[in-house]
Amino acid sequence: MKRRSWLGWGTAGLVALWSAVGVSLGAVVRFLTPSVFYEPPQSFKIGNPADFSFGPPTFLAEEKIFVFRDREKGFAVASAVCTHLGCTVGYFQDDQRFHCPCHGSVFAGDGAVQHGPAPRPLEWFEVTLARDGQLRVDKDHVVPAAYRLMV
Amino acid sequence: MTPLRDVWRSIVRRDPLSTDKGKSELVFLNLWLHIHPAKVKRENFKLKHTWYLGFITFYLFLILVTTGVALMFYYRPDAPQSYQDMKDLQFVVYLGSFLRNMHRWSAHGMVICVFLHMCRVFYTGSYKAPRQFNWVIGVFLFLLTLGLSFTGYLLPWDQLAFWAITVGSNIGGYAPLVGPRLKELLLGGHAVGESALLRFYVLHVAVLPSTMILLTMVHFWRVRKDGGLSRPVWKLKPAAAGPLVRIGAPAPAEAALVVVPASQDKTYGLMEVVTGKPIFETVTAEEEEDTVFSYPYAFFREAIALMATVTSVMAISLFWQAPLEELANPAKTPNPAKAPWYFLGLQELVSHSALLGGVVVPALAVLGLLAIPYLDTNPSRRPADRKWAIRAFTLFVVVNVVLIIIGTLFRGPGWALVPPWVHVSGAE
Ligand code: HEM
Ligand code: FES
Repeated sequence: MKRRSWLGWGTAGLVALWSAVGVSLGAVVRFLTPSVFYEPPQSFKIGNPADFSFGPPTFLAEEKIFVFRDREKGFAVASAVCTHLGCTVGYFQDDQRFHCPCHGSVFAGDGAVQHGPAPRPLEWFEVTLARDGQLRVDKDHVVPAAYRLMV
Repeated sequence: MTPLRDVWRSIVRRDPLSTDKGKSELVFLNLWLHIHPAKVKRENFKLKHTWYLGFITFYLFLILVTTGVALMFYYRPDAPQSYQDMKDLQFVVYLGSFLRNMHRWSAHGMVICVFLHMCRVFYTGSYKAPRQFNWVIGVFLFLLTLGLSFTGYLLPWDQLAFWAITVGSNIGGYAPLVGPRLKELLLGGHAVGESALLRFYVLHVAVLPSTMILLTMVHFWRVRKDGGLSRPVWKLKPAAAGPLVRIGAPAPAEAALVVVPASQDKTYGLMEVVTGKPIFETVTAEEEEDTVFSYPYAFFREAIALMATVTSVMAISLFWQAPLEELANPAKTPNPAKAPWYFLGLQELVSHSALLGGVVVPALAVLGLLAIPYLDTNPSRRPADRKWAIRAFTLFVVVNVVLIIIGTLFRGPGWALVPPWVHVSGAE
């Protein structure tokens, strides 16, 4: 066979080989990415409005949220996950702020960072009324801190 | 008893160890020993040059593999069952807590020793030509060691484990572009949970150890191929140079030609002549004198180091219990929540700026370490000739150590600066 065609075949072979390597690597990454996440749903019901008292927020440990209920303004739901490194913050009634136990971040009542390393304010989640009259929280919908649901 | 002797001879085919040939054959007819040269230079085994830190790191790794496999007989990577298995190991399984202690303390020891080994390689200038690439392999071994410790940290599935890994993996999540994706791949989800436990387990018992074994083999092979361990050449006294003889020159008139009789107990061969510089550091040919057979000189010293390592780990494990806190509880963060200690330097930085401490500084540190042998082109390994390199590296080490000490001992609830001797009441 001619030298030229050997070179051609050789190049084609190498290209094919490296493409195969590339595709396989992609497949490995895709394989390691779960197609289904067996995690608690991002959108869930938390009970009837009447279950929640006025005054200090209710902390739901499983969902890691605070449910606020205000006589005039209505319902609001705040994330309890610190935006710094994911520790669970606590709400302190005496200074009406959120404190993170891990690296001392402090968030104002509206979630704004007042102190510490947290880079972003705490998130507020959309809360709506489901058809059966229960409150539904959707963690995929982050809303402004002023968001309220009047019931 | 000829049959028995035949069996023995079929296994051990070397000559008796009383002969030089037997001593060499012990090394090169044996799979496990033949990574050694048949003869070693005496200084290589001087305690003060290597402190045996590479060996100790390797021995700790052997302890970890052995005790780790033992623990696997009783451990299921299935939350929250894993925690019950740990309790069983602690209180029910015969020798369970002892093996667990050994595994835990060797893991901490390995992180410390691999770091110290890296320091000694730096201070002796042993990363310089021809050893640059072995330093690079070493940096990867260092990262692998950290990876093994980090993945192992989650397995007990207690509060300590859960929150250390939560904080640790969120640090990684700060990397721009790839961060969140990497975190998802590592955790198999968006928060530390069952899939994270399974992934960490597979990485911890299969992927990372096998990679470690492969790289360690390359590392050792390279040490040989780079001409054996580096030596403090500047301290060696060159032997008095013999008179130079030009091949082919007429013999000096006064020296009568002597005929040297061929020895009866040596085999002569015609060696090939290779041109080019040797990669070995030689002072002069005479310096050959200082080599000794690996058996027993090197093996004896290695065996002592091995026994000292094993005994120390066992002694520590008899008296100190590996911690096991209560069952992991995602709803309740312990205060303060700390990453594993070797990442507390990073966490300290992260507590000031997440991007800087979590991404920029560690990335620069690793790249910097990898680049050292290629940036530092000063050929001299004599400490007096490399003052600035030594100062820079010392600064790096000191900053690391200080940050880790602050993070470990001086950070109390709410990450407030609290000296370790002050007790904070009300802290959980
Ligand atoms: C799992 C981790 C490691 C193991 C088991 C290991 C083991 C060893 C051993 C047994 C030696 C020979 C003698 C001694 O120094 O005691 C050695 C030499 C060496 N190591 Fe490592 N090592 C590890 C990590 C590292 C790291 C992190 C670096 C540097 C970044 C490194 C760089 C080197 C170099 C350049 C040599 C040759 C030194 C010389 O010729 O003097 N190694 N290693
Ligand atoms: S996780 Fe809240 S301050 Fe660090």
